[in-house]
Amino acid sequence: MSPIDRRILTHMNWGLIAMTLLLFGVGVANLYSASGFRVDDGIAVSSFYSKQLLWGAVGMGGMLAVMLFDYRHLKSLAWPVFIVTVLLLVAVPLFGVTVYGAKRWLSFGFFNLQPSELAKISTLIIAARLLSRGGEPLDWGELFKILGICLIPAALIVTQPDLGTTLNVLLNVGGVILYRGIARHVFKTCIIALPPLIPLGWFVLHDYQKQRILTFLDPGRDPLGAGYHIIQSQIAIGSGQIWGKGFLGGTQSQLRFLPEKHTDFAVAVFGEEWGFIGNMILLGLFCLFLLAIFNSARDAKDRFGSFLCAGVFFYFFWQILINMGMVVGLMPVVGIPLPFISYGGSATIVNFCLIGLVLNVSMRRFVFKAS
Amino acid sequence: MKVQLDSEGFQPPRSGLMLLQGLVALIFLVFALRFWYLQIHKGEDYARLASDNRLRQEQMYAPRGLLRDRYGMLLAENRPAYGLGLVREDCHDIPSTLAQISQWTGIDLTEITQRYERDKRKVKSFEPLILVPDISFELLAAVEANINRWPGLEIIVRPRRYYPSGPELAHLLGYVSEADEKQLQQRPELALGDTVGKQGLELVLEDRLRGQKGLRQMEVDVVGRDLTHHILRAPQAGENINLTIDLALQHKAFEMLEGQSGCIVVLDPDTGQLHALVTAPAFDNNAFARGLTGKEWAELRDNPRHPMQNRVIQSVYPPASIWKLLMAGLVLEDKVVDPKETVFCNGRYPMGNRVFRCWKKWGHGHTDLHKALVESCDVYFYDVADKIGIDRIAEFAKASGFGELTGIDLPHERSGLVPSREWKRKRFGEVWHRGETLNISIGQGFTLVTPLQIARFIGALLNGGKLLKPQILVDEKPLVQHEIPIGADARKVILKAMVDTVDAPRGTARRLRRPDAVIGGKTGTAQVVRIVGEERRKKEEMEYWERDHAWMAAWGQKDDKRYVIVVMVEHGGGGSSTAGPIVKGLFDYLFGVPGEAGADSQ
Repeated sequence: MSPIDRRILTHMNWGLIAMTLLLFGVGVANLYSASGFRVDDGIAVSSFYSKQLLWGAVGMGGMLAVMLFDYRHLKSLAWPVFIVTVLLLVAVPLFGVTVYGAKRWLSFGFFNLQPSELAKISTLIIAARLLSRGGEPLDWGELFKILGICLIPAALIVTQPDLGTTLNVLLNVGGVILYRGIARHVFKTCIIALPPLIPLGWFVLHDYQKQRILTFLDPGRDPLGAGYHIIQSQIAIGSGQIWGKGFLGGTQSQLRFLPEKHTDFAVAVFGEEWGFIGNMILLGLFCLFLLAIFNSARDAKDRFGSFLCAGVFFYFFWQILINMGMVVGLMPVVGIPLPFISYGGSATIVNFCLIGLVLNVSMRRFVFKAS
Repeated sequence: MKVQLDSEGFQPPRSGLMLLQGLVALIFLVFALRFWYLQIHKGEDYARLASDNRLRQEQMYAPRGLLRDRYGMLLAENRPAYGLGLVREDCHDIPSTLAQISQWTGIDLTEITQRYERDKRKVKSFEPLILVPDISFELLAAVEANINRWPGLEIIVRPRRYYPSGPELAHLLGYVSEADEKQLQQRPELALGDTVGKQGLELVLEDRLRGQKGLRQMEVDVVGRDLTHHILRAPQAGENINLTIDLALQHKAFEMLEGQSGCIVVLDPDTGQLHALVTAPAFDNNAFARGLTGKEWAELRDNPRHPMQNRVIQSVYPPASIWKLLMAGLVLEDKVVDPKETVFCNGRYPMGNRVFRCWKKWGHGHTDLHKALVESCDVYFYDVADKIGIDRIAEFAKASGFGELTGIDLPHERSGLVPSREWKRKRFGEVWHRGETLNISIGQGFTLVTPLQIARFIGALLNGGKLLKPQILVDEKPLVQHEIPIGADARKVILKAMVDTVDAPRGTARRLRRPDAVIGGKTGTAQVVRIVGEERRKKEEMEYWERDHAWMAAWGQKDDKRYVIVVMVEHGGGGSSTAGPIVKGLFDYLFGVPGEAGADSQ
């Protein structure tokens, strides 16, 4: 491990750190309100916010750890990590524990590991490594090779079943591929060939997943069942109007009309309490956060680093798009949390670690020239 | 550490960078627009939906006004009633819950199921549907102990009308019961399960007693627990109203009628205020407020003695000898004959091929008007009536307040009947016979009066000839309807004759005599069965239903207190022997028992 160069600090992506901490702060404050519920003479708050703080602390530790070693070592670690991930994914249906009808966890006694979370990271790294070879736009051969490799974990995850994570893995890889650039004729073919394939996807979906899509298209068809989440979440956000109902003032969440309010629908609580103004600020924070990652991708010293940052960019981008899209009723209900805003232990730790990866890339921009 | 550099002077792909920037711009634009749409464009709609989610409005019951007697004794009050309600949303197994209710209460399961089916559309699924409005205290304990095993079942506490004296005032007060379909439609302020006055004063005074319901807003959470209350409109209690009734007197009168069918009116002749209005047999109006079972209702309806009937105003009887007071007025006013002129009564009065009889088999001998009243001679009135004729009698009776409603504030009053030539032609298509006029003169035949009409007429004799509206409410002023066509001199003669009926050795109401007060009276025995044979049968031999009705109309004055008392005992036989003791007992109450301490000072 090379000694810490002073330039590491000067080239640190301080903007990204600031945005991350701001978002995390907003998230914890919002959780405090979101996990509260009205009791006879006041508000009782569950301990989600304090646990989230704990996860955040662990995550920041992870972030620092990720920053310590040179990210280029990941290049050689990409394959071993990927193979371990696939093995763990294979182990899930054999030894996994079933929670809520889905087998996603491996029990290690003191903690439960979710290999699909690991898969998000390892596919990012393997994709960055595979894509960093050669400089020309991707042709069919390369494209299929990369897609083929990434489809292995995706196929394993979709059977768990966990459509949200599968989509996330595939979309991340797809995003980085587009960032890297593909050959013009490949692009054209895809544009023409893909849309007719979408209806075929319908037959892959489980009944409950089809139900969600139908419900999304028409929430009124089951207002107390599947459509309930969508309707109540829009009522929560809409009733916030311009200025919101104030911190701890959201009736939809305090009176528990809003389900999943501390996890997937946390941003609905925020929208109800802080209104349009608050939402615009939060949206602005997210955009600045994405742009900070974008800066790292742009300024990276090598392909691998740039693609890693782009991967992280897409990792967050898709989650923001899908989660917020679901909460505001623009997308079907898919169990994807909003980074730093939704409660969740492993997600928070992974989020911080990935930020650490981006910071790692950005702060080592000039290190190698000097050595 | 050796680090391999794969591309010195790496330039990131331009299109890729543009893609990332474009995506950031896109995400901002899409969500900014969507937030604007949800929170600003549609914000008010969603705010209203959020309020609908959490705010529920609930009506608050207003206590119904209390009824008191003239001395402030409670006649009708409100008590908490414990009912069983079912919240459909929370109930998993409705049929077995209904069966359990039936088992607890003993009410037929079909009755409960019918009620459930009838009302389930009118009550929201999260509101309790009341299945049994009132359960006893003992049952309440049993139900409360087990209610957790029956989700959706709730004990509902609501005010219920309670009448402390029950049957004694049932006809006067009437009762309340749950509003029926028609009332619910007509009066939008009523909700299912609300009670309204259905009979008697509860019905007449409904608007004053009802009060105004309050409205309470509750904030509820998603499972419907109410967290905060906020009163939007406080309930306004109904008006408390005092009646002219003297509860103790009413009680006394009711006791004395017990076991008989009949009625009693006690009236203040100078104000028209009713101090007692008793009818028997009676029913318990509390049973109606509680909710009558089908069986209870059938028993009341089919009882041949008609316990639901308020006999004071809804039953009509032949006035019998009481009518002679009116006839005397007519004789005196029209001067048909000199009151001193006598008619010889030998107990018989032949007319055509019929013989009309006096009640006294061997006759009264020489009889003038005064004696005819005191000893109630029929033949005297046969004789004068034949001279007067039916047309004049009918006209005079109507002018004296018969055949018309007294205007009392109670529903379903009957006006009785004053027959006339024209009436008979219309009713039967027959001409009037002279002999019928004779029957009319002694209060038999077609003439029908209510006991209240008699009391009002006696009151007019006492108060200077004014027919007053019989009043039940203390706060109403005396209301003169019209005057009787009997002048002061004639009234004096009639009242003197009534006093002598009590005082004179041969008077028919001698048992009313008391040394400390002036008492006047007139007895009457209304024939129920036309007398065909020569002899009247002995009372005991007659079947109950063929026995005569017993009348007594009396008044008394002690110091500045005056009362009119009219008693009618159905199938009671002779007026004096059956109705007399009742009148005497009431004067004993009103004026004190003669000779006892306090009797004079009262």
